[in-house]
Parts: sequence; C-alpha cells; structure tokens
Amino acid sequence: MPSYELSLMLRVLSKPELVSSLKRSAETIVQQGGVLRQFISIGTKPLPFKIRAHTQWHREGTYFLMKFDAPSSAVENLNDEFKRDIDLIRTHVVKCEEPVKQECTLEEELKSPAYRKDVQQLVEESRKTVRKQFKQNSPGFDYYPFQK
Amino acid sequence: MALMQKILPCFHISSLYRTTMFPLLTVRHSTNYNASLQQEDDQPAQNLSNPYQKEKRCCVLCKYDVNVDYKNARLLSQFLSPFTGKVYERNITGLCKSKQKIVESEIIKAQNAGYLAIMLKKVEYFKDPKLCDPDRPVRPHRY
Repeated sequence: MPSYELSLMLRVLSKPELVSSLKRSAETIVQQGGVLRQFISIGTKPLPFKIRAHTQWHREGTYFLMKFDAPSSAVENLNDEFKRDIDLIRTHVVKCEEPVKQECTLEEELKSPAYRKDVQQLVEESRKTVRKQFKQNSPGFDYYPFQK
Repeated sequence: MALMQKILPCFHISSLYRTTMFPLLTVRHSTNYNASLQQEDDQPAQNLSNPYQKEKRCCVLCKYDVNVDYKNARLLSQFLSPFTGKVYERNITGLCKSKQKIVESEIIKAQNAGYLAIMLKKVEYFKDPKLCDPDRPVRPHRY
C-alpha cells in the first residue's frame, strides 16, 4: 500500500468539537482500508486568503497533518467524503515519494548556447529532413473548405 | 679484432656524452639505451587533472540538499516576487531545471492546500535572506 499525506484545514472549533471532527476524518481513512501512521498538529493560523467552504467565509483555520498508508483506489473515495464534511475547509492528499537524487545541472545550463547539449540536439533535429508522408483518408488541407 | 681489443679498455664510455670517434656496435647500443631512458623521463605524466579547472557551480537547493516541501511556505516564498507574488523564472532564481520544476509544483500544491498566498507575498517574509535578486539575474531573459 502506498503511503499518503493528508493536510487538513479545519474551521475554528471548540476543543471537543475539533476532537470529534478529527476522529471522523480518521475513521473515514480507516473505513477505506487505510492505516494511520502519524498525526501532527500545525496549529491555528490565519489563512493566507479568505476561503469559502459550505456557505461560509473563513479567515482562520486549524491545520493538521495525517500520514497514512492506503490502497490507491481509496484516495478518490476519501476526497469525496471530505468534500461533504462541513468542518473541513480544505483537504489535500499527496503521495509520499522519496525525492529522486539528481546531480545539479546548473553548470551545463549556464554555458553559452553553442555548447549546451539541448541546443545541439535541436540543431541536429533541424538538420534532419522529414519526408512528407501521404495521409490516407484525410481532406488534404488544414482548413474547412465548405465556407459560406 | 686485435685493434678493437686494444682500444676498448683505454676508451671511457660515458653515458653523458656521445662517442663519434669509434662507431663501435657496443657504444651505439649503450647510447640508444640511455637515450630511450632519457625520453621516458622527459615525457609529461599522463592522467593529470587540470589544476586550473574551476569548481562546478551548484544551485542553492542542490548545494545544501534542501528538501522542498509544500508545507514550507516560507522557503517557497523566497522564490516569489514581493511586488507581484509571482514565481521568479529560472534566470533569476538561479536554480537548475529539475529544482525549479519541483519548486514551481510545490508552490502550486501549497496554494491549493492553503499554506501559501496566491496573489501576494506575506509581509512577515520580506526580511528573509534574499535568494533571488531580479535586478541581477544569473543569466539573461529567455527572450
């Protein structure tokens, strides 16, 4: 099962209400066949811009992070469930992937165009002569011929 | 043969100078051997790295192996303009192609998830260390 990360944004609620809404979201994950791994609170912060959710404008929110493992088919259902929850302003499910280690190609990119590999490839491509192939079952022109 | 036997002992064969008076086979052989040794000493050593080669330039994120995350709105804001809130192009940020792409995708993720503002850059982030200077781009504009 691939591991996912859910960043939850809940509206400002009292503590018992907050607890119940978080429990609800965690239960939906488990219902879809997921396994909760980590549960992190980022805190109550003013939102970067006002957001409308379920006929209400929000300017403050409580951020939470849930890391879980779930079957890939469950993500679509999860998003559907979260859309219907009134307490959730925004949800964002991201797949946890280890970043691919690549060498920095800055040196190659800062060279002048004549020495850059991608530019040289373009020049080579332009030198190739493409033989025009006759297209079967096509009108033969780019425009629609039957104009008024 | 008798003549050669008489001459050889009195004649000092040195490796430092050539003998031209008595072109004997033995003398010629020794000079050639010494000359070949000298040639080997004079040849430049192979497989030496260029001592004047400049260090490979690395972009900021690759150099310090920074993990760019959509939750880290402050780090992402360092690549936004404080005037328009837009992402700077690669010529201004000075990042390599792959890192620039990652930063752009993470900014969009952060904006969608509600961590980063879309049309502006937060005033609290203005005093952060400058990674990009639009007045001094790394390379000229694409067009």
